[in-house]
Amino acid sequence: MITVDRLTKTYGAYTAVDDVSFVCQPGRVTGFLGPNGAGKTTTMRVMVGLTLPTRGQITIGGLRYHDIPNPGRHVGTLLDASAQHVGRSGREILSIAAQTMGLPKTRVDEMLALVGLNDDEAGRRLRNYSLGMKQRLGIAHALLGDPSVLILDEPANGLDPAGIRWMRGLLKGYADRGGTVLLSSHLLHEVEQIADEMILIGRGKIVAQGDRETLLAGANGTPVTMVTSLDNTALGAALTHAGHAVEPAGAGLKVLASPEQVGRTALTAGVVLTDLRSGGAGLEDLFLELTSADAREAVPGVGAPTPGGIPA
Amino acid sequence: MSTTAVPTLDVSGTPRTPLSRLVGVEIRKALDTRAGFWFATSIVGLVLVVLLIYTLVAPDDSKNFEDLLGVSGGVLGYFLPILIIMLVTSEQSQRNGLVTFTLEPQRSRVVAAKFLAGVGLAASVMVLASLLALIFTAVAAATGASPEWSVDGNLLFNGFVLTNLVGIVVGFAIATLLMNTPAGIVAYFVYALILPMAAGILSELSSGFEKVAPWIEFNTAQMPLFSGDYQPSGEEWAQIATSGVIWLVIPLVLGTMRLLRIEFK
Repeated sequence: MITVDRLTKTYGAYTAVDDVSFVCQPGRVTGFLGPNGAGKTTTMRVMVGLTLPTRGQITIGGLRYHDIPNPGRHVGTLLDASAQHVGRSGREILSIAAQTMGLPKTRVDEMLALVGLNDDEAGRRLRNYSLGMKQRLGIAHALLGDPSVLILDEPANGLDPAGIRWMRGLLKGYADRGGTVLLSSHLLHEVEQIADEMILIGRGKIVAQGDRETLLAGANGTPVTMVTSLDNTALGAALTHAGHAVEPAGAGLKVLASPEQVGRTALTAGVVLTDLRSGGAGLEDLFLELTSADAREAVPGVGAPTPGGIPA
Repeated sequence: MSTTAVPTLDVSGTPRTPLSRLVGVEIRKALDTRAGFWFATSIVGLVLVVLLIYTLVAPDDSKNFEDLLGVSGGVLGYFLPILIIMLVTSEQSQRNGLVTFTLEPQRSRVVAAKFLAGVGLAASVMVLASLLALIFTAVAAATGASPEWSVDGNLLFNGFVLTNLVGIVVGFAIATLLMNTPAGIVAYFVYALILPMAAGILSELSSGFEKVAPWIEFNTAQMPLFSGDYQPSGEEWAQIATSGVIWLVIPLVLGTMRLLRIEFK
């Protein structure tokens, strides 16, 4: 469990992280979402003691990172997969970490197998690695000490679609076994499929947090539904008649109503639905809106999400 | 936020990483890259070549073990500090400090481990260099010279071990102060080559400066350690101490403070 308590980090006049508080629960994947430069990396660096906070503190399982003996055995960290000596082989990089943590050499081979780096690749020097390979090595490095907490900064960066799916499964399984996972990303799609909980940060401030439903509910009070039917014109008319805003979207309609409301309207109108889902676009709009350049001025002092409390 | 019980991390099963293990890791890191390995190997190789040339060209009466030890010590003096500079600055230049200091957040322990690893490596290279000097003394004996095998303890300690140790500590201080590999190496050579030369020229020009030089220029102050009877007088020790504060103690303190606070990106 990671507890971030009123963290502030300033560099001169620039505030990188501004009074941020959140908790990452064990058994859950927490997604840390925000555009580039929003303060994600700085927050994660403070977590592992690489950056000193200006105010506030972060504890992991009740302890400050500095006070955890042999921290690699408790907290797995991937901050920057490229931050390694380029002249070392992947295997050597893991071996150094294993030696530091006092782990047997066999653990290195286990981790290489887990992340799918073969003997030839493991023997190559890091300068000859692709970004995806570096990322896999970085994940192996984070998992090496069999930690109970994982802190991963942009772990999907550079992974191919198969790699992203693999990582998603890996982290899901890890959280299901009781681990705490915090991963950051600037890509909503990457996070929303895996995260049980999302924390949206923009310009150093948390602009919203909660699970997917909470976030959508808080977006503008009205849920968004994407619907396609055999007779969109009739359905559109019925929805408009029922008082819901409707606009065409691709082959279907985008409706400002819950999927249940849309379903009921369709039932009454006798229109056959071929696709009905909660509007993903709603979350994306929310994300862009909350983290846009003027988000900081638009949502002053927003902490925990309260339904309807976040201005649209 | 509600105040639920915070699940605490059970750290009873993982004792702090022992310093000996950190030292072992740092020695490994100094030698496991091409640059590190070949640099260490080249130092020994260079000692070998210089000793070979010396045995070929030096007059027979100056092929004593002491002479050869002085020759290899001179070579080491220039290159051993580079080894420790690379060991320290690569954490920043190659950015692996991010991982090093995440696995051991008590930075002072990493700094201590690096220092001990550097001294350990230097000691090994010094032993190798003395062995080479010994071998070439035997070669000299076999090729007609009648070398003296005994070694003045002061030469061995002051002229060989102490001066090289001082060089290593200065290298370490420069490395922590600059945290950049090329800059560190250049700065060391400026310190070791250009500074004493400048002091020499200034001393030629001004007798006033000549008196002051050994008090403020560390290389000049160390001269009595490896020349004459290898035994500095009380005043000369005072000069070593005074200039040592300027060139060794102050940079070392500032550099270590910097390394303990620097933000590894």
